[in-house]
Amino acid sequence: MIDVVAILMANYLYVLAITLGGMLISLSVHFVPVGGAPAAMAQATGIGTGTVQLAAGAGLTGLVTAGAVMAVSDSLPLILAAGAVGAMIMMSVTMLVGAWVYTYGVGVPPASAKVKYDPITKDRQDLYVSQGTEGHGLPTVSFVSGVIGGLLGGIGGSLVYYSLMMNTTTSLTTSNLVGLASIFAVGIFFVNAVIPSYNIGGTIEGFHDPKFKKWPKAVFSSFIATFLSALIGVLAIGGL
Amino acid sequence: MEPLIGMGVLALMGAAATIAGASEDLESDVGSQSNPNSQVQLAPQMMYPHRIYNKAISGEPPSNALMCAIGGTTASVLMTAYSMSPLFAIAMGALFAAIVHGSYSISAFLGRPASQKRFKQPVYLDILRSHTPVIMGYSYITTFCILVVSYLMVAVLGHPFPLPLLAFIWGITVGAIGSSTGDVHYGAEREFQNVEFGAGLNAANSGNIVRRAESGLRNGIDNSWFCAKFGGPVTGIAFGMTVFLSGWVTTVFNPAISPIMGWLSVVAGVILVLIMIIWNRKIEVAARAAFGPYKEDEVAA
Repeated sequence: MIDVVAILMANYLYVLAITLGGMLISLSVHFVPVGGAPAAMAQATGIGTGTVQLAAGAGLTGLVTAGAVMAVSDSLPLILAAGAVGAMIMMSVTMLVGAWVYTYGVGVPPASAKVKYDPITKDRQDLYVSQGTEGHGLPTVSFVSGVIGGLLGGIGGSLVYYSLMMNTTTSLTTSNLVGLASIFAVGIFFVNAVIPSYNIGGTIEGFHDPKFKKWPKAVFSSFIATFLSALIGVLAIGGL
Repeated sequence: MEPLIGMGVLALMGAAATIAGASEDLESDVGSQSNPNSQVQLAPQMMYPHRIYNKAISGEPPSNALMCAIGGTTASVLMTAYSMSPLFAIAMGALFAAIVHGSYSISAFLGRPASQKRFKQPVYLDILRSHTPVIMGYSYITTFCILVVSYLMVAVLGHPFPLPLLAFIWGITVGAIGSSTGDVHYGAEREFQNVEFGAGLNAANSGNIVRRAESGLRNGIDNSWFCAKFGGPVTGIAFGMTVFLSGWVTTVFNPAISPIMGWLSVVAGVILVLIMIIWNRKIEVAARAAFGPYKEDEVAA
C-alpha cells in the first residue's frame, strides 16, 4: 500500500507545476489558427486540419526536443525554452509550407474574413476573400498567432514532463521513469488540447478572432482536469 | 559524439523524414483520408456517385500514430527480446503496421459507401482490390522511414524516450503536417478542377467533386498521380524540415557542452522562426500583387 499523503506532501510543488503546464497548453491551443475541414478546401482561414491534431503535433515535437535537452541538462529555463523552440519550429514550418500550397497550388492569396484590416500589417483583408468562402491561407497575424501558440504549448508540455521527471519519491530506474513520465506528459497534453476545441468549434483564426475571448472558460476547465490528472500522475509515478 | 557524425545522422534522419512525409500525404490521397474526404463523403448525397476510394479511418495524426506505434513496438520487441538486427526488426515492424492499416482501410471502405446505398453509391470491389495494396505500400514506406528516424534518435543521438513512444510522437506529427499541407492540394485543387482556378471552394459547390479522369472515370490512384507533383513532395519537405531543424539547433549548439551552448541553440531556433515569419510575409505580399483582389473597393469605385 502506498502512502498517498506522504507522496503528495513531497511532490505538491510538482502537482502545481503540472497544473500550470496544462493551463498553458489549453491557452496555447486558442492561438493556433486552424480552419478544420473547410480550410482544406480553401474555404476558411487557417491551417486545414483539426485543433487537437495540430496543437498535439507541435507540442509533442517540443516534448521530443525538451526530452533530449533534459537528458543532458538540469536547468529548468533551458528545458522549457528547448521545448518552446521545438514546437515553434514545427508550427512555423507547417504554416509556411501550408502557405506554399495555398499560394502556388491553389492560387489564393492569404485573407482573413474576421477582420477588415490585419492588426499587424494593416493590410486590407475583405477584398481578397474569394466568393462563398470564409477567407483562406495564413495572413501574417494568423502566422504570428500560431508561433505564439507553439511557444506556449511547447513550454506547457515541457513543464509537465519536467515536473513528472523530478518526482522525489519514486524508485523507478531512469529509463522506466522516462517512459512513464513521457507517456503521462503526452496524455496530459491531449486532455488539454481537447478541452479548448469546444470553445473553438472547428475554426479559429488566431488571437484577433472573436472566439479567442472565450479562453478563460477553457483554461479554468483545464485547471480542474489537469489538477486531477496531475494527482494521478504524481501518485502513480511516486508510488512505484 | 563527433559533431560531424551528428550532422551526418541528422541528414539521414531528414532524408528519411522527407520520404515519410511524401508517402504519408500520397497514402491519404489514394485512400482519401482526412479533411478533403468530407467532400468525397458528401458527393453521393448531392447525387454525384463516384469511384473514389473512401476511407476515413480517423484523423490522419491518430491513424499514423497507430501505424508507427505498432511498427515501433514490434521492432523494439524483435530487437530486445529476440536480438534481431535493427534493419530486419524495422522492416518487420513496418510490415505489421501496413497489414493492420490495410485491414482498417478495407473495413472503412466497405462501411462508408455501403452506408450510402440510399444515394445509389455502389461499393466497387475492383477499387478495393486495386487501391488497398497501394495504401498498404505507402503506409509501409511511411512507417519504415519513421522507424528509421526514431531508431537513429535513440541508438545514435542518445534520445532518452523509448523507440515506440518516439515513433508514436513522430506519427502524430507527420499526420498533423500531412493533413495541414499536402491535403490542401488534394482538397482545394484536385477535387475541384471543374471550377475556375484561383479561388477557394464556394460553399455552393460543396460535394460537386470532379468524377471524370484524364482517361475514364477518376479514382484514388489518379488523385495520387496528380498530388505526387506538388502536394506530396511539399509535405515531405515540411516533415523533413521539422525533423532536421528541431534536431539541428541542438546538434550544432550542443547543450551537453555547456548551458551557454544550450541558450545559443534556443537563439538559433528563434532566428529560424523569425526567418519563416518574414518568408510567409513575402509570399503574402507577392500573392496579393500577382493575383489581385476578388472585389472592387466600394468606396474607391
